[in-house]
Amino acid sequence: MRAEELKGHLDALLLAALEDGPRHGYAVIETLRQSTGGRLDLPTGTIYPALRRLEAAGLITGSWSVVAGRRRRDYRLTPAGARALSGKRSDWRDFAAMVSAALEGRPCPDPA
Amino acid sequence: MPGPGLITDYLTTLSGQLPAPIVEELADGLDQTRQHYLDQGMDPDAAACAAVAEFGEPHVIVAAFTRLSPARRAARRLLATGPVVGACWATELITGRAWTWPVPVVARLLLGVAMISVICLLATAAFGSQYRPVGRAAAVGCVGIIGLDTAMLITVALAVPAMIWPLVLAVAASAARLTFTVRTLRPVLTG
Repeated sequence: MRAEELKGHLDALLLAALEDGPRHGYAVIETLRQSTGGRLDLPTGTIYPALRRLEAAGLITGSWSVVAGRRRRDYRLTPAGARALSGKRSDWRDFAAMVSAALEGRPCPDPA
Repeated sequence: MPGPGLITDYLTTLSGQLPAPIVEELADGLDQTRQHYLDQGMDPDAAACAAVAEFGEPHVIVAAFTRLSPARRAARRLLATGPVVGACWATELITGRAWTWPVPVVARLLLGVAMISVICLLATAAFGSQYRPVGRAAAVGCVGIIGLDTAMLITVALAVPAMIWPLVLAVAASAARLTFTVRTLRPVLTG
C-alpha cells in the first residue's frame, strides 16, 4: 500500500504504533511493518515529520535519550493521544463497515 | 567506504537545510535502517543505498518539516490577521481624512514600501518549502511588523490630541498584533 492511499489514516496508525509504550521513529516504522505484514510502503523520512506534527498537536510527547553514543528521540502517547486514538478507531470501524456494505451490496449495520 | 559516504552526503544535504535536532533524529533513523538491511545480509554499499532510498528524497523531507515550522505558522497567522488590522487603520485614516494631514510625501512612500516589503516577506515564509529561507523571511517579516506597529502606536501617542472610536479600535488591533508578534519571534528565531 502506497503513502497516498493512507492519506487521512497515517495519524491513527502512528498513534496505534505507540499504544503499547514509548518508541523511537524507526521502531514506530518497524511496528507498522510488522502489524501490516510488511504491506505498508511508506517513505521512512516522512514518518519523522508526522511524529513531530503529532507532538505539536499534543497527542504524543518526545524525549531524548542517548544510545550507543547517538542521540535518539523517543515518543509516547499522551492522554489526549490515547483519546484521539480511541476516537479514530471508532470512526474507522464505522467507515469500514459502511464502505464494505456498499461494495458488497449488503445492508449497512447500525453504528453501535 | 562508499556506503557510509552516501549516508554522510545525504545527512550533509539535510543538515544544510534543517535544524540540528531534526537531523540528529533522522541520522539515528537512517543508521537503524541501514543496520536493518545489513542484518538481512546486504553488503554495506547496498545497505546504505537501500536505506537512503527508503528515506526518500531530501527535498520531500525538508518540505514536510518546513510545513510544520514555527516560522511558517507565524507567517500564516500574521498574513491572515493583517487585513483585519489594516481595515481598522483604514477606517481611522478615512474617517480622520488622513489625506489632509501634513505628512511629508517621503514618509508616506516609506510607510507604503515598508508595508509591501513586510507582506512579501510573510508571503514568502507562508508558502515557501525551504526551511531556512522560510525561517529568515518570517523573522524579518516579524521584525517589520513589530517596527510598523510600534511606529504607528508612537505616532498616535505623540501626535493625536483625542482618541475617537476608530482610532481606539486601530490602536487595540495593533497592540494585540504587536504582543502576538513579540511572543512569536522567539520560536521563529530558534525554530
